[in-house]
Amino acid sequence: MAAVTSRRITTDSAGGSDPRGPVLPPGGSGRSAETWKRHIVRQLKHRDLSQHAMFQDLIRFYTQLLEKTSLAKGILSCSLRRPSPDSSSSISALLHQNSQLKKTTGELAYQVVELQQQIKIKECVLEEQHARLAEEECRLAGAFDSHRELQERVERVQGKNGVLKTEYDALLERQRGAETRLREEKVRGGHLVEDMIHLKQQAAARMNSRNERRSRAREANLQKELQTAARSKVTIDSSSSAPTSRSTSPKNENQDQESTEQRHTRLFRSASATSPRILSSIRELFDRKRRGHSVCSLEEDLTCPVGICLSARVPARALHVLDAHEQGINAVRFSSSSDLLATGGTDRVIKLWEVRAGSLTHRATLDGSTEGITCIEFDPTGLRILAASYDKSALLWRLDDSVPKLTLTGHIRKVTAARFSSLPHQVVTGSADRTIRLWDLQRAACVQVVEVASYCSDLVCSENCIISGHFDSKIRVWDTRAVSCVQELPAQGKVTSLDLSADHRQLLSCCRDDCLQLVDLRRRSNDRMCFRAEGFKCGSDSTKAVISPDGCFLAAGSADGTVYVWNASTNNLETRLPDKHSSSISAVSWSLSGEYVVSVDKSRRAVLWSDI
Amino acid sequence: MADDKDVLRDVWFGRIPTCFTLNQDEVTEREAEPYYLLLPRVSYLTLVTDKVKKHFLKVMKAEDVEEMWFEYEGTPLKWHYPIGVLFDLHASNTVLPWSITVHFKNFPDRDLLHCPSNSVIEAHFMSSIKEADALKHKSQVVNDMQKKDHKQLWMGLQNDKFDQFWAMNRKLMEYPTEEGGFRYIPFRIYQAMSDRPFIQKLFRPISPEGNAHTLGNLLKEMYPTAIPNDGEPKRYQVVIHGIEPLLETPLQWLSEHLSHPDNFLHISSWITQETVGLNGGNSELTDSLMRGRSESCP
Repeated sequence: MAAVTSRRITTDSAGGSDPRGPVLPPGGSGRSAETWKRHIVRQLKHRDLSQHAMFQDLIRFYTQLLEKTSLAKGILSCSLRRPSPDSSSSISALLHQNSQLKKTTGELAYQVVELQQQIKIKECVLEEQHARLAEEECRLAGAFDSHRELQERVERVQGKNGVLKTEYDALLERQRGAETRLREEKVRGGHLVEDMIHLKQQAAARMNSRNERRSRAREANLQKELQTAARSKVTIDSSSSAPTSRSTSPKNENQDQESTEQRHTRLFRSASATSPRILSSIRELFDRKRRGHSVCSLEEDLTCPVGICLSARVPARALHVLDAHEQGINAVRFSSSSDLLATGGTDRVIKLWEVRAGSLTHRATLDGSTEGITCIEFDPTGLRILAASYDKSALLWRLDDSVPKLTLTGHIRKVTAARFSSLPHQVVTGSADRTIRLWDLQRAACVQVVEVASYCSDLVCSENCIISGHFDSKIRVWDTRAVSCVQELPAQGKVTSLDLSADHRQLLSCCRDDCLQLVDLRRRSNDRMCFRAEGFKCGSDSTKAVISPDGCFLAAGSADGTVYVWNASTNNLETRLPDKHSSSISAVSWSLSGEYVVSVDKSRRAVLWSDI
Repeated sequence: MADDKDVLRDVWFGRIPTCFTLNQDEVTEREAEPYYLLLPRVSYLTLVTDKVKKHFLKVMKAEDVEEMWFEYEGTPLKWHYPIGVLFDLHASNTVLPWSITVHFKNFPDRDLLHCPSNSVIEAHFMSSIKEADALKHKSQVVNDMQKKDHKQLWMGLQNDKFDQFWAMNRKLMEYPTEEGGFRYIPFRIYQAMSDRPFIQKLFRPISPEGNAHTLGNLLKEMYPTAIPNDGEPKRYQVVIHGIEPLLETPLQWLSEHLSHPDNFLHISSWITQETVGLNGGNSELTDSLMRGRSESCP
């Protein structure tokens, strides 16, 4: 209580109800303004304490007691005052009142009970109705739920329908677009077909016209000849005519007439020489369509002059450089007579050249292959050319006819080499389909198929054997008649070409790993000589290397366009001929006279080299 | 400031323990016990004595009851004085509780005013407030108040609601700052044993020089005998609300905080018993009584 704390202060201080009265300030100005306030506060507290607090509780209790006593007194007085006037009547009145009150209470209680029962009944009814209401609400909720569910389903189905419809529309659009494109393509296809047909027709017409012209020319010529022959006198001359370079070897006199008469007509298919057959042969002259018959005669080719080179000369300079073909040149070959050169390549034709006065002159073009030429060979008589082609066939031409006499088909893949066999009328072909086939020219059919283990890249034929070089780095020697593998010679790498020397003793093989190998066939030990040179690289899988006709030198073309010439006996590089070729040299050939070397490369160029 | 609020509260809630005893001459049916009551210092007798009347009416017959009046030791107590003033003036030095005798007959018309109902007390109370405000603010503040504000003042006093009363009364305690205080201080100095009822004159709280006048200044001006000269012992007691403030208490502060609810500073003064001449045992008795009063706190 605040009074308690203030008491402490008051007992200490000199203030309070000082009987001496208010204390006069000693100095007057020394006191702060708060002193009188504090004094007053103290005084008030003190006063309250003494006057108020002490008596508060006391007076309260006193008043309470007073009230209680007065109440008690009042009750007593009340009760005392009542009985004095008329007590009895009031008692009976009271009793009567009491009983009446009891009756009314009983009635009221009864009414209360009744009313309570009614309330209970009403409550039951109310509950029942509540229950029914709840039920109905449940059912309603259920109905709402199913309604909502159905609505959702409807919406989903509608959604799906919409999606399907859009898909369908998209597909329809695409289909229409595809249809229009189809129509356009059809139209274009029709146009293209028409164009192709037109072109083919044109080509066919050209061919036909050319053939017609040729046949007409031949007819006309023949007519003229016949006329001249019919008109001229026939003088029977038994002496044989001087063999020309173009004619076959002089056989018996039966042939002479026809040979002299037909010297200029060698371009035609040769008729058989015997006189009883003149008519049939004349008849057959007009039968151009027939191939395979009278390709060669029995009398022909039995013996033919074989040229011998006395000495080959190392080429030193280029005499003639020309672009020989339309596309790359793959093969080049001098014929057995020095003057004629055949080149063939990717442009599907063989061009014949004559070496005259140090330059190559184009003589003729032989076509008929449908794809590039891989290998060319002249037959020993020099009248026929055999070529192997990419179109899986080997072709045979007679030199005077640009249309091939024979086409030997049967290989499954490109024919890499085709050679005249030592047997008459036989041709050996090697192919990438891992077979070597022997063909009979008279029948123009394949007589034997020899399966080999590997891609045959080149072939050479000697009297008794066929030698083939393969990609599996082996050279196989086959017996001609039995056509079985007699010997297998290992090579340094993939064999790209083979060449036999003129005496059929040395075999040159050119391998992919830039090495030339010379094998002596007759020696039992089969020792080899390897020829390498710095800078010599074998340019392709069909690079051709050759032995010089006298067997002293080897020539090969390198990938950088340089011709390398080795000395076969000393194993050294004899010479290099650079700068004439701009691309990889695919083949070289040495003329039979030993004078000329021709190299051809992939960029259509042919170079005639000589040592002069 | 907290002190000031405490002062106001202590002033408002001051109580005097009183014992009301019925006059023996009154005709009663049986003996009336005395009635004890804590009277508020700031209120008026007729306002707070309803219970007393009820208590004594229980033992009296209705026909014997006239207007109730009070007296103390023969002196009729004027109901229009605040109770605290009456106590301080007449019985401050006596033993508590204050014994008042209740009369129901023989109303002294010459000494007392009739008080038939509470509205009379209200009228008296409001007129005091207006008079005080006339002195303080030239009646501006009280005239600006509305009727309900006056009613609030009266209801606060009647129901003993300090906050309700002071919510309105603080307006009456404001003054413009440039003045430094009220215009004149409303005060009344009551003297015991005097013919004059009270001293009330115009007195400014601030001197013309600007100094604040103190209680001492007021007494010197109005009642110089109360203040002893230097060297003389104190002869008079100057009491406000039962306490003796120091003479240097500023008058403005006194008027703001120690005024009664009717905004007047009621100052009671009497001669201290010692100087009256009571010597020996009496003075010692009074000394011990006074000492006992101050030290009787448990």
